[in-house]
Amino acid sequence: MNSRGFNMRNAVLAGAIALVTTGTIAGSASAQWSYAEAAKPYEGVTIRVLDEITPLQETLAGIVPQFTEETGIKVEYELLNHFEVINKGQSDMLSGRGYYDAVMLHGFQLGPMLEAGVLMPIDDFLASELKNPAFDEADIIEPSYSTTSFHGGKQYGLMNWNYNQIYWARGDLMNHPDEKAAFEAKYGYALAPAETFSQLRDIAEFFTRPAGATLAGETLDSPFYGIVMEGVKGGSTFPSLWGNFLNAYGGGLIDEAGRPNFDTPENIEALTMWADLWGFAPPGVAEYSLIDVPTVMGNGIAAQAIAWSDFVLGVDQPGASPHAGNFVYRAMPYKQGMADSRSVESEPSVTTISVHSENPEPTFLFLQWLAERRQQEKLIEAGQGGVPMRESSWAMPVMQDGRLAGLFAAMKGSLEVAVGKPKMPEFYEVYDVLSGIAQEIGLGQMTPAEGAAAAQAAMLEICEECLLN
Amino acid sequence: MATLEETEAAGANKKMSARARGSALDPWWYPYALMTPALITFVIIALVPFIFTVFVSFYEMKFGRLGDFAGFANYAELLTDSRFWNSMAVAGIFVGIAVPLEFMLGLAGALLLNRPMWGRSLLVPLLFIPTMMAPIVVGLLWKIMLAGSWGLLSTNIIEPLGLIGDSSIFASPQLALYALIFVDVWQWTPFMMLAFFAGLQALPVNPYRAAAVDGANPIQCFFRLTLPMMAPLLVVIGLLRLIDAFKVFDSIFVLTGGGPGTSTEMPSMLAYKMTFEFWNIGEASALAVVVWLLFFAFCNIFYQVAKKKLNAF
Repeated sequence: MNSRGFNMRNAVLAGAIALVTTGTIAGSASAQWSYAEAAKPYEGVTIRVLDEITPLQETLAGIVPQFTEETGIKVEYELLNHFEVINKGQSDMLSGRGYYDAVMLHGFQLGPMLEAGVLMPIDDFLASELKNPAFDEADIIEPSYSTTSFHGGKQYGLMNWNYNQIYWARGDLMNHPDEKAAFEAKYGYALAPAETFSQLRDIAEFFTRPAGATLAGETLDSPFYGIVMEGVKGGSTFPSLWGNFLNAYGGGLIDEAGRPNFDTPENIEALTMWADLWGFAPPGVAEYSLIDVPTVMGNGIAAQAIAWSDFVLGVDQPGASPHAGNFVYRAMPYKQGMADSRSVESEPSVTTISVHSENPEPTFLFLQWLAERRQQEKLIEAGQGGVPMRESSWAMPVMQDGRLAGLFAAMKGSLEVAVGKPKMPEFYEVYDVLSGIAQEIGLGQMTPAEGAAAAQAAMLEICEECLLN
Repeated sequence: MATLEETEAAGANKKMSARARGSALDPWWYPYALMTPALITFVIIALVPFIFTVFVSFYEMKFGRLGDFAGFANYAELLTDSRFWNSMAVAGIFVGIAVPLEFMLGLAGALLLNRPMWGRSLLVPLLFIPTMMAPIVVGLLWKIMLAGSWGLLSTNIIEPLGLIGDSSIFASPQLALYALIFVDVWQWTPFMMLAFFAGLQALPVNPYRAAAVDGANPIQCFFRLTLPMMAPLLVVIGLLRLIDAFKVFDSIFVLTGGGPGTSTEMPSMLAYKMTFEFWNIGEASALAVVVWLLFFAFCNIFYQVAKKKLNAF
């Protein structure tokens, strides 16, 4: 054998040895790494985490003590309602009080909180021995993860909650032979859960009936409505309009450079559809919040709803609604001919570490632990389903075969296109003004065209470039 | 009979003697010592925050961070904001309707209560229940009564009778503010009634006897005796109620959130949004200072008018 062949053979052998050695080291590092070991320096520490109270978190609260058993780190896991977790969590972070080590932030809060400089990036933790080498980051649902947890080249959390909206309808009414026949006779196509906004509108119109009319063979004691959705000033009324309608019609709030771009034909068309739907909603629609919608739908006075899927989980349960089991679900409708532009209002949420935390390392360990596949599977099993943040969760039997399989399929459809909100420091001011304008459009106080113009003018007063640098 | 000078001298001596007597048992600083806890409390919970608010109003303060000195920029921003003037107009309508209604209904109720009646001692506490309820509870109660399509009164009376078309009260820009006024009148009229009733009970009887001898009728007695004698109480209670009504927040927060649009957004609601939603604390502080200045000026004018025209002070 000549020297060249000898050198080549040696090079290949060296490479193979290096590969095996690296793999072995990584494997043994992975095999050696454990939360118990990583948490040893922090044993006995107490951390405080603020999160939102929904059926998901209530289930998670039952799992949290297992982290303490595993690591010795105590967790005070506090749950508050949507509005309180926003106000209290932000107040704690912005005041510098730092009572909470970590606070759950909805996507729209990230812009203002990043601007305020109160969020601790987790890049250093991810590069340290605190990171679990076996943590399966690729399994986290996209595009919500990458559009929410990252900004300016830094990462501010792992995905925690993947709130999303879905379309929700009364299956018993949709399947009633009399209703099906009458609908087809009037509209020329079969009655089924809406796939497009035009169908949504037709169904809403069809099922809006006064007291004394017949519905599914029975005489109505009180009016019945074609749709119920949020309309209160505040809440998620405007985000719902934005995510479900404006984006789906090819519109939106800002252009790619972050400049206000509200007064567009696409937005006006979307606003027209949205305002139209108000005509088929109960009289109190302008008072309905994200909590009222599932309540009203659960009470059975409307045929369709656009609602947050995690709230639906709590309503479509025996004993919670007289119509439990009669509901059907779908991902949000899209504009006819624009299935590729399908959009949904979603709120990927991240539990972030406060810059004022005195215990960021154990807090990071806890948040990483929560996002691990095994914890997420436990959460889904314990809740008999849930709103996954991992792709692998969809394949779980409870998500595929359970009573609410249709709901989970609708969530999956919504999450395929769910993205985080653009990071806008003046989001709250923009949202407050547009929320009022949206309500006035829904109430018929403004035409869609007037509303679009007013919204554009209002946005320009607040920010000429609205994205966080 | 003593002269005026002798009487004044005697009075002065009496004061000096009282003071001289007092120093033996009650040192001169004793009244101040008694007031000190209240004064300290006032300084800590009212004066210091107020001074800090004035200070912050001259700075940029966003997201809880004190920024650069802004001079009067926050005030300029506020006073050129149509939303601020809208909130003042809403407050003006609210106060302008609610307070006179509460005043008149409260006075009428007090006059009725002041007549001999069986069961008055039971009736008064019952009438006072709305005032005893926390404002947030009142808001929730009326939400349950008037919420569109599920409220008790909405579903059973208002909507079936088509009294307000196809809207709901709190969703109607035309009706929402008047609904809030109704709720405020419902809650605070009993307070006015009780305060005026106490005032009526304390009025001397002799002038009425003299009036009866002179042949005065009840209406003449009311306008010539009751109202003038009650003037200080009426003015003070009316002013307090006016200030309170301007500051109303709880019921608006629960019932309308300031909507529909901005039709029920009062300065208190706007200040809340500026502080806890927009985190624009500099401008919110400017709003608080402007409102305080307006009230300071108003109360001074009110005091002078009440003193000179109504002999109220």
